[in-house]
Amino acid sequence: MSIQLLFDALALGGIYAIAALGIALIFGVMKLVNFAHGQFIACAVFALIIPSTDAVAVMGLGRLPALILIPAVLAVGALLALAAEALVFRPLRNASPVALMVGSFALGVALQNLLLVLYGGRPKAVSLWADLGAPIALGPAQVPLLQLIVIVAVGAILLALALMLKHTRIGLEMRAAAEDFGMARLLGVRANRVISGAFALSGALAAVVALVLVAQTGVADVRMGGQIMLVAFIATVVGGMGSLAGAVAAGLALGAASALLQAGLPPEARPFRDAFLYALVIFVLLFRPQGLFASAGAKPRV
Amino acid sequence: MAKIGVFDLSVRYGKLTALSDLSFTMPEGERLFISGPNGAGKSSLLGAISGAVRAAHGRIEMDGEILSGLGPEQIARRGLSMVPEGRRIFASLSVRENLMVGTGLRRDESAVADDLEAVFTAFPILRERANAPAGALSGGQQQMLAISRALMTNPKVMMVDEPSLGLAPKVVDEVYDRLCELQKLRGLTLVIVEQSSARAARVGGRMLLMRGGRIVADGDAAEFAAGDLLTEAYFGDPA
Ligand SMILES: Nc1ncnc2c1ncn2[C@@H]1O[C@H](COP(=O)(O)OP(=O)(O)OP(=O)(O)O)[C@@H](O)[C@H]1O
Ligand SMILES: [Mg+2]
Repeated sequence: MSIQLLFDALALGGIYAIAALGIALIFGVMKLVNFAHGQFIACAVFALIIPSTDAVAVMGLGRLPALILIPAVLAVGALLALAAEALVFRPLRNASPVALMVGSFALGVALQNLLLVLYGGRPKAVSLWADLGAPIALGPAQVPLLQLIVIVAVGAILLALALMLKHTRIGLEMRAAAEDFGMARLLGVRANRVISGAFALSGALAAVVALVLVAQTGVADVRMGGQIMLVAFIATVVGGMGSLAGAVAAGLALGAASALLQAGLPPEARPFRDAFLYALVIFVLLFRPQGLFASAGAKPRV
Repeated sequence: MAKIGVFDLSVRYGKLTALSDLSFTMPEGERLFISGPNGAGKSSLLGAISGAVRAAHGRIEMDGEILSGLGPEQIARRGLSMVPEGRRIFASLSVRENLMVGTGLRRDESAVADDLEAVFTAFPILRERANAPAGALSGGQQQMLAISRALMTNPKVMMVDEPSLGLAPKVVDEVYDRLCELQKLRGLTLVIVEQSSARAARVGGRMLLMRGGRIVADGDAAEFAAGDLLTEAYFGDPA
C-alpha cells in the first residue's frame, strides 16, 4: 500500500469517525438517532459565510484567523445542538423513540430550508485555508499538508474525548447514563446536564467535520450534510448503535474501504464506488446484525 | 414528624392499576419490610417514592417536604436512595466507577473518600475488584456493589428491592447482616422488599403486606411468620 493511499484512508476515515461519534454520543444517552446531525454540519459550514443568495460566497466568520475561527465555529455547532435539544428534543423526551426520530427528521428539514432561504440553493465556492492544500514531501510520497493536519487533529480529538469520558465527572455520568439512564438518575445524575453535555459535544464535533469538509472541498453546499450523515449513520450501525469505540472503528474502516475502492477499482467502475461500499456494509451486517461492537446498553440485562 | 409519609398514592400503567390509594408512614430509623405476592405492587411503590415511576395521584413526603412531582435525581439529592430490582449495575464501568456515579450530588468531598474507604472495608471483595468491570462480579457481589453504590450517595433513607433475588441462602444471610450493620452505623431509615416473610421475621422489623396494589396487613414481621395474617393476605378476599 502506498503512503499516499494510507493518508487518504486515514484522513477520510477520521472524518467519518468524527461524524459517526457525533451521532453515537447522542444515541448513547438518549437512544435517539439524530438525523439532523448532517444539518448541524451544514449549518456550521454556512456560519462561515455572510448570508446572501449570491453565487459568490463572502466570508464572514471565515475571514477570522484560525485561532479565533476554530473555537467560534465549534461554539456555533455546540450552541446549535444545545438549542435543538432545548427546543425540540427536551419536550419530546418522554415520547416514543419513533417520535424522537421523526422530530429529528423534521428539525433537519427545517434547518435545511432555513439555509436555503438565507443562502440560496446553489453550491458556493469557499476558500478556507487554501494554502494548506500544498503538498509536502513525505519520503517518496506527496501528501497535502491539510491531510496531515486532519489526521493529527482527529487523533487529538479522539484522545481528548477518551480522556474526558474516562477521567471527568461528566464523562463518568455520560457513560453511566448511556448504560442505564434511569439508574443513573436514581443516583442523582442530572438528566438535563448529561443530555446537554452530549448535545454540546456532538454539535462541536459536527463543526469539526464542517471545517474539514470546507477546507478539503472548497465548497459550501446545503446538501453536503445529508451525504456525510448517511455515511456516519452507517458507521454507527456497523459499529453497534451507541458504542463510541465501535463508531470510531467503523468510521475509520468505512473511510479506509472507500479510499481503497477508489484506488483499486478499475476506472470505469469508480462511479459505483459507494455501491461497492454499501454492499460491503450489508455483507458485514449479515454476519453481525448487532454491529461489530454491541453496546453495553443493548445487552440484555440479567 | 414521620420520616416518610405516603398518602393516597395510586400508580397506573395504562389501564392497569398497580397501586390504589395506598397510605402509610414510617418514623426515622425504622426498618420496614414490604412483602406480598408477585404483582402486588411492591416495586411500583418503591418506584413511585424514588421518582422512577410517575404516580397517578397521591402525595409522598420526606421530613415533611413533598417529593411528589420531583424527578428521581432531585429525590436522590434530598437523601433518598433506591437499590432497584435486578440491581442494575453498570456492567461496563469498573467497580470503583460504579461507586462514584452517585457521589456527584455531594458537596463533602473528603467524606466521599472516607465513605469509599468504609465501603471497601465492609466489602473487601469490592476493593480487590475495584478496577475490574462490574459485569464480571458474581450475583452476590453485584448485590453488595448495588447497596454500596446507593450508600455512596450518603442517603438518609435507603430502599432495597428484593436484595435476595437469585442469591444462594448463605449469600442472602450475608447481605442482610451487612444491611443491618450499615443501618445501625449510619442511622439509616431502611425499606426492604422481601418476598419471604420468614426471612423478614428472622431479620426483624415492621412489615407491610401488600396485595393487589393495597396494604392488607401492617405489623411486626415476627407475627406474620406465625402464619394467620399471611394466609389471609395471600388467599383471603382482597380488601
Ligand atoms: N412498566 C410497567 N408497565 C406495565 N405494567 C407494569 C409495569 N411495571 C409493573 N407493571 C404491573 O403492575 C403490577 C405491579 O407490579 P410490581 O412490579 O409493582 O409488583 P411487585 O410486587 O414488585 O411484583 P414482583 O414480586 O414480581 O416483583 C403488576 O401487575 C405488573 O404486571
Ligand atoms: Mg417487584
